[in-house]
Amino acid sequence: MTATITYDDKSVRHFMIASIFWGIVGMLVGVLIATQLSRWEMNGHWIEIVTFGAIKSDGISFLTFGRLRPLHTNAVIFAFVGNMMFAGIYYSTQRLCKVRTASDLLSKIHFWGWQLIIVAAAITLPAGFTRGKEYAELIWPINIAVVVIWVVFAVNFFWTLAKRNEPSLYVALWFYIATIVTVAMLYIVNHLSLPTSLVHSYPIFGGLQDGLVQWWYGHNAVAFFLTTPILGIMYYFLPKAANRPVYSYRLSIIHFWSLVFIYIWAGPHHLLNTALPQWLQYLGMLFSLMLWAPSWGGMLNGLLTLRGAWDKLRTDPVIKFFAAGVTFYGMATFEGPLLAITKVNALSHYTDWTVGHVHSGALGWNGFMAAGLFYWLAPRLWKTQLWSKALANMHFWIGITGILLYVVALWCAGIMQGLMLGQINPGGTTLKYEFIETLNDIQIFYWLRSFGGLLYLSGFILCAFNVWKTARSGKAVDESVEITLLEKKQKDGMAWGEALFNDPLAHIILAMVFVLLWIFLPPHADKAALIVSLLLSYKAYAAFKASKDQWTNWHERLIENYLPFTVLVFVAVAIGGAVQIIPSLIVNREKNIEGRLQELYTPLELAGRDVFVSEGCYNCHSQMIRTLAPEVMRYGRPGIADDYSHLGESLFDHPYQWGSKRTGPDLAREGGEIAKYPDGTSQKYMRVGKRGNDWHFNHFLDPRQTSPGSNMPAYPWLFDKETDVKSLPGKIAAQVKIGVPWPAMNQHEIRDSVETQAQEIAKSLIDAKVYLPDKPDLKDDALRNHLAKSEVVALIAYLQKLGSYKEVGKDHPSSPSPLNPDSHRRTDASN
Amino acid sequence: MSQEPKRGHFAKEEGEIILREHEYDGIQEYDQKLPNWWLFTFYGAIVWFVIHWGVYYYTDFFRTPQERVKQEIVAVQQAKAAELEKTLATLDDSTLVHEWATKPEVVSAGEVTYLTNCTACHGADLSATISAGGNKVPLPGLPLNDHQWKFGSKPMDLFKLINVGSPPESSGHNGAKMQAWGQTLGPKKVAEVTAYLIAKLPEDFKDIPAK
Repeated sequence: MTATITYDDKSVRHFMIASIFWGIVGMLVGVLIATQLSRWEMNGHWIEIVTFGAIKSDGISFLTFGRLRPLHTNAVIFAFVGNMMFAGIYYSTQRLCKVRTASDLLSKIHFWGWQLIIVAAAITLPAGFTRGKEYAELIWPINIAVVVIWVVFAVNFFWTLAKRNEPSLYVALWFYIATIVTVAMLYIVNHLSLPTSLVHSYPIFGGLQDGLVQWWYGHNAVAFFLTTPILGIMYYFLPKAANRPVYSYRLSIIHFWSLVFIYIWAGPHHLLNTALPQWLQYLGMLFSLMLWAPSWGGMLNGLLTLRGAWDKLRTDPVIKFFAAGVTFYGMATFEGPLLAITKVNALSHYTDWTVGHVHSGALGWNGFMAAGLFYWLAPRLWKTQLWSKALANMHFWIGITGILLYVVALWCAGIMQGLMLGQINPGGTTLKYEFIETLNDIQIFYWLRSFGGLLYLSGFILCAFNVWKTARSGKAVDESVEITLLEKKQKDGMAWGEALFNDPLAHIILAMVFVLLWIFLPPHADKAALIVSLLLSYKAYAAFKASKDQWTNWHERLIENYLPFTVLVFVAVAIGGAVQIIPSLIVNREKNIEGRLQELYTPLELAGRDVFVSEGCYNCHSQMIRTLAPEVMRYGRPGIADDYSHLGESLFDHPYQWGSKRTGPDLAREGGEIAKYPDGTSQKYMRVGKRGNDWHFNHFLDPRQTSPGSNMPAYPWLFDKETDVKSLPGKIAAQVKIGVPWPAMNQHEIRDSVETQAQEIAKSLIDAKVYLPDKPDLKDDALRNHLAKSEVVALIAYLQKLGSYKEVGKDHPSSPSPLNPDSHRRTDASN
Repeated sequence: MSQEPKRGHFAKEEGEIILREHEYDGIQEYDQKLPNWWLFTFYGAIVWFVIHWGVYYYTDFFRTPQERVKQEIVAVQQAKAAELEKTLATLDDSTLVHEWATKPEVVSAGEVTYLTNCTACHGADLSATISAGGNKVPLPGLPLNDHQWKFGSKPMDLFKLINVGSPPESSGHNGAKMQAWGQTLGPKKVAEVTAYLIAKLPEDFKDIPAK
């Protein structure tokens, strides 16, 4: 029986236009913040310059790097690539299922809901409302909206699958399924938090746990938001554009399953050489190496599909962009495992090499795949020809020049800074360079990078113009096709037992269980488990040889049944995170602190910490001294050989602040002991660390006064804005609920404690004769009382606390504990 | 491809390439054998996982990162101690004043180090003040040109003070203390800075006799 259906191409047009619009916004913010790294004036002071002093400011809060960088990343990931992904998914899913999207209403809610979320993000992030976790900065009400809209999308998608007139699922749909299921899992877990107000919350995980969950999420946001949906799009649009069959079906199967299973495990490679337990670091590194082949499987299937169509590379801009995009995917997924090797990471981490790496993915892979998609879609969605091929070609060449400049500049910047920071003077006792010297030496590359980014943006604007002209030259048309309706029993007839308790799966699950036992069991039992898993692997191989047809038929049946398929995808993606995260939740929190227990914050220090997070300081400053000699020499204290950051030092940090990039120096040991009065008696709360309070005061007012050559923004508003003391009792109560052992305090005690500490710090500032250029009339007690209420004093209180801990009896790393593979390690010490 | 490829479900024979019968919205799929080098990297990485894990957890071949960095830092500390001992052997009040401080190249090296590291607290003119808007604003450090030496006035007292930082009994400047510059600069540069101060403040050290 046949029927004529009309596809919902209107939603596709909407998502595509939204993607182009937000793409320009996101990249524009990117170029702005890139220039901020070269010229501090770009953090708002430029407004004073362009208005010839009519608006006076050394810096404007909502234009600073710390607040705009999250806006840039969120805009590019969720707004640009997100909308592009939805356009591609809505277009291809309907055609691969031979059915119109299940619900027009849900499509509309999905589209407008998503745009509303983006607008909310664009308002709240510059305003300083943030959760302080990368790519998970949005505040909790927006988080809930994201989950709701994602569920709307999922329902709409799976409903469409259920209504399909095509018995089996094409590989593109596998990737879409993996995307929807996994992003939901990652997003929900990493956004679990306890609200303290409408705009603020604390993540329920702290310290190590928070770091682990964060990078399980962060790494796999790259995997399942920026990679798998785009691979799905590649699998549909690339063979269409090239008019060639896909290179290898079995490669699709193998690389799909290995990719979704392995990707999840690689998250800890963002925390190599940190305080993260070694077994997690090794899982992160070794799974990243295993990920190389599955990633390249996707590249191979893309590039080899073009065999026989390479001549189109000269004439067809779509093929040009797809070929370049897939090549960049191959390059980035080769670079990724390389950067995940502990020794390479020691050099590259916290430098611009990582930033270059993500941009070869985001601009090279995502951006070029998006451009190819748009140039392919536009003529079809508006029933016309592409307005200008020449302009599209120009976009291609400008874009590729831009991105190559960008990536090469940041390779140079990252490697050079990494090497300089590790450089030790002859004699081997002192470091050769100050941090600031390494920053100043890479400025030339920062300029090149900004220029490269600007070129890329210009190219993208040409794309927007071309698509607009194309749309104007045609007419929006929804495609109608004649299809054969599918009989009910031709799909989704597989019994759950047949799907889940069948042979390939039985072998794989059993072998996996023994591999896990090998990792976790105590000595000797683990070796037995390894031997069993090797035997099982061999047995699986033999079984596959003997009954190949049965195995392949099972998979052929599976892809005719979307629900069992989805369940299996979920199982595959859930294992890695569960194995890595759950042990840390159960055992490691109280036990595994490496002999150092973080001192609790005072209420004022907590308020200061919230300012630190809100200003996005973590975007440039880490709080993690890695287990590397140059790092301990630079940031550790003299005379303490093991002065790298220990796990217990950030135990109560919600969110953790280990950071991922150092544009400024590490702050893990910025603080110090309780200060003394000249007569030798101790102050009550005030601490002083590496630098005096007045140093910090002057530094926030004008970083270049205390650190010549610094590119840090000035923070004049911190000197006016009052510290939010009113919300502290609620915040402290929330922290108690998530496990921070605050002493019992009523709100008066909290207020008194804040007042006392703030006055101590303010007095020290007055004694140092600090000067507030904006308020020359404020003097002595008036100035002191003004400062005591200001955010800058709270922030100073926090900074002077950093790195404070109590020594608690060294725990014995050799005492075996279940779920901690490191404790089973055979060493001389334990024998 | 000139020749029409064979249609089928899966490739089964060695070297066979099948164009799969089923099409999705006009998209066809070959079923090609997986490239050997690709399989090799995949299996190789899995084998490497087992080997690397085994070597770390069953042998002493790798140190833990903590052990490794501790040993490296202890070695650095020992080298520092040896360096200091060697410097101290040739350094006393007299040599600082009459040898180090009289050599222009030593004094100018000390000046460079002073201007990079010390001016933020002690001022370029040793007065521990900075001019801001016509006013003399005090800096965190003690003035060095007031002929008062709170923690000892002998050249070696200065050297030790710069080398190890503010003494424990000092309450610091509102709690802020001078860091142990010997750690970041090394003893030679500290001696050069001492020589620079002596050369700038000859009055304070004129009583130190030559050997």
